[in-house]
Amino acid sequence: MLEIKRTSAVVSPHPAAARPTSPHGGEVNRVRVLSLLVVDGQNTLTKVSGVIRRRGFHVRGISVGPSRQPGHSRITLQIDHGHAEADQVRKQLERLVEVVEVEDLTGDDVHNRELVVATVAASELDALLKRGAKVLSTGSDGTTVEFSGDADQVADFVNELARHGIVDVVRSGPVVMRKSE
Amino acid sequence: MILEALEREGVEYIFGYPGGANLPIYQHLHEHPKLKHILVRHEQGAAHMADGYARACGKPGVVFATSGPGALNLVTGLCTAYMDSVPMIAITGQVVSTQVGRDAFQESDVIGATSSVTKHSYLVTKIDQLPRVIHEAFHIATTGRPGPVLIDICKDVQQADAERVNTEYLEIPGYKLNGHVNLDGARQAAQALAGAERPVILAGHGVLLSHAERELMQLAEAAAAPVGTTLLGIGAFPVKHPLSLHMTGFMGTGWCLKAVQNADVLMMVGMRVDDRVTAKLSEFAPNVKTFIHVDIDESEMGKNVRPHIELVADARLALEAMVPQVTKVDAGRAKWLGQIDKWREEHPLRYKQSNGQLQPQDVLIDMYKRARSEAIVVADVGQNQIWAALWWNYDRPGLFINSGGSGTMGFALPAALGAKFGRPDLPVWCVAGEGGFVMTAQELSVAVEHQLDVKIVLLNNRSLGMVRQFQDDFYGGVRSQVDLTHMPDFVKLCEAYGLPALRVEKFEDIAPSFDAAERTKGPFLIDFRIDPEANVYPIVPLGKGLNEFREAPEYA
Repeated sequence: MLEIKRTSAVVSPHPAAARPTSPHGGEVNRVRVLSLLVVDGQNTLTKVSGVIRRRGFHVRGISVGPSRQPGHSRITLQIDHGHAEADQVRKQLERLVEVVEVEDLTGDDVHNRELVVATVAASELDALLKRGAKVLSTGSDGTTVEFSGDADQVADFVNELARHGIVDVVRSGPVVMRKSE
Repeated sequence: MILEALEREGVEYIFGYPGGANLPIYQHLHEHPKLKHILVRHEQGAAHMADGYARACGKPGVVFATSGPGALNLVTGLCTAYMDSVPMIAITGQVVSTQVGRDAFQESDVIGATSSVTKHSYLVTKIDQLPRVIHEAFHIATTGRPGPVLIDICKDVQQADAERVNTEYLEIPGYKLNGHVNLDGARQAAQALAGAERPVILAGHGVLLSHAERELMQLAEAAAAPVGTTLLGIGAFPVKHPLSLHMTGFMGTGWCLKAVQNADVLMMVGMRVDDRVTAKLSEFAPNVKTFIHVDIDESEMGKNVRPHIELVADARLALEAMVPQVTKVDAGRAKWLGQIDKWREEHPLRYKQSNGQLQPQDVLIDMYKRARSEAIVVADVGQNQIWAALWWNYDRPGLFINSGGSGTMGFALPAALGAKFGRPDLPVWCVAGEGGFVMTAQELSVAVEHQLDVKIVLLNNRSLGMVRQFQDDFYGGVRSQVDLTHMPDFVKLCEAYGLPALRVEKFEDIAPSFDAAERTKGPFLIDFRIDPEANVYPIVPLGKGLNEFREAPEYA
């Protein structure tokens, strides 16, 4: 008999609290984390986002930064692939000439880090500092702290902040790397 | 600079239209006599001409257009080429680089507007990028799964001079070519096909693009597997071959659809398995235990039908690897082929004859008698397209050209002219309905200017026939906005453009009109006033499964 090979979707450990709504209903197991090495160019981000839009995928998180290779950037994407086969997102992105490689980093054997910067009322900083937050500056309207962690930890941290009276908060997209063996 | 690069790439024809933002290119055109520029009458015509040229002769079609409206007029043509994987290079002028983003006169975001209908695109703002970009563009357009590549060049760059760089060496790190065949997969596929009780092979455009017709034939004969083609795959397998199922899809032949729906192993080669092939996806090929998909584009795997065996490879190499792996053919094969023959008898292609009205099939049958597979047929979109697909016995590759994926009305005339530029040695017939024809009829001027020997067969039913048929059958019989009674007198229109034309209303005038067309050198149009009620059959009602195809009524 023939061996039938099928790719199975890997369930993402994305926390419920941090889960944005998706046009496709927001099933957790439809999210994939992809790390793209791309050629820097005026059109690169447009092309990548164009494929995502046209194929009916939905971006839940994105971060872009320079890669180790000159002239190349690293894009980390959290994508809901909707009705399409799970692997379609990777295949469609790999078709782009601007995209050098796509690595699927969905799963547990990765470091998935997000950053949050928040300004809170100056009182009661202790609880935040105990969680690992770092003070960036202190001013008349509050203290600004930064915190990084995996999506769960960042979501918890933001929940914690709410109790301290958030003046302002910004969160980054994820940066993801496979754990070293 | 640009023109020299095109010469180096072996370009012979450019289909284009000058304007403010590409004037510097046109200024030097006369210095390059090897480049023949065809002045079209609308940029869409240029794109379709380049498309027809590329499909007919296999070389990439080259298009020039100016910025703004000029470039945007290409979009439909680019999409047509993109959907059907046709190699094309579109060079558009852009406003000077310092004006980009300032809403300058005739500025538009051409890259933004075309990126979803091109395989790749470039905005060139610096002269030193240009030589590499042009060479890369040709490489990308013509290799792997071919497609259109657009180069948007700022006007100041067109005027600049650059050092000629060594373009022999290409480095495109993000461009992956899938060529190699997984031999293990090929063996599995070949054995699954040969060992199947009821195998079917479907062949698409990829077979033609990779010139895999011979290997397809070898595999089909070795495995005694019947072969159907998609609309764009027509010519990949000779229609008159005993193993031929003719065309598949929602307007395919009854015996092909029966075979697909009853198959236990289905091999799909060089095709996208789109909705026109599958009809209702959940009811497509329900008895198949093993889907085998061969395509050079990995993203086609599992996009619509998830294969059990996938081969991401060039169709010719994949089929070539499979042929020697066919060893034992299943003992029940004769029974399966016998069953297909029975379906062929039970569900023949048929049409209404001699009801006093001129039937489109009569026209095409007479045409085929004359051409005998020695002519290129370029069809438009609609009923005329399906009639031209089904009522000709294409037994050689590359003779049938049409807009399959995009379904672009107005494609046929400019594409036929392009095909004639590409293959001047072959007769070229343009088959179109009157609706699509008038969408790009201005290109008749090009036919006359270059005295292109293209015979235009207008299947004129005074209505938008396919839409009318859908409305009749699937939309409650309400005929809405399909009446085309008010059209030009096509004989007079041709006279105005300067080409001879005839009107034919009776069966007995078909042959004499073709005689006249064949006697005439240069373009010729025949306005066939066909039965306005003539329909395309078989047809699967929209949203239904392939097994629910409707056939032409049995005529006495």
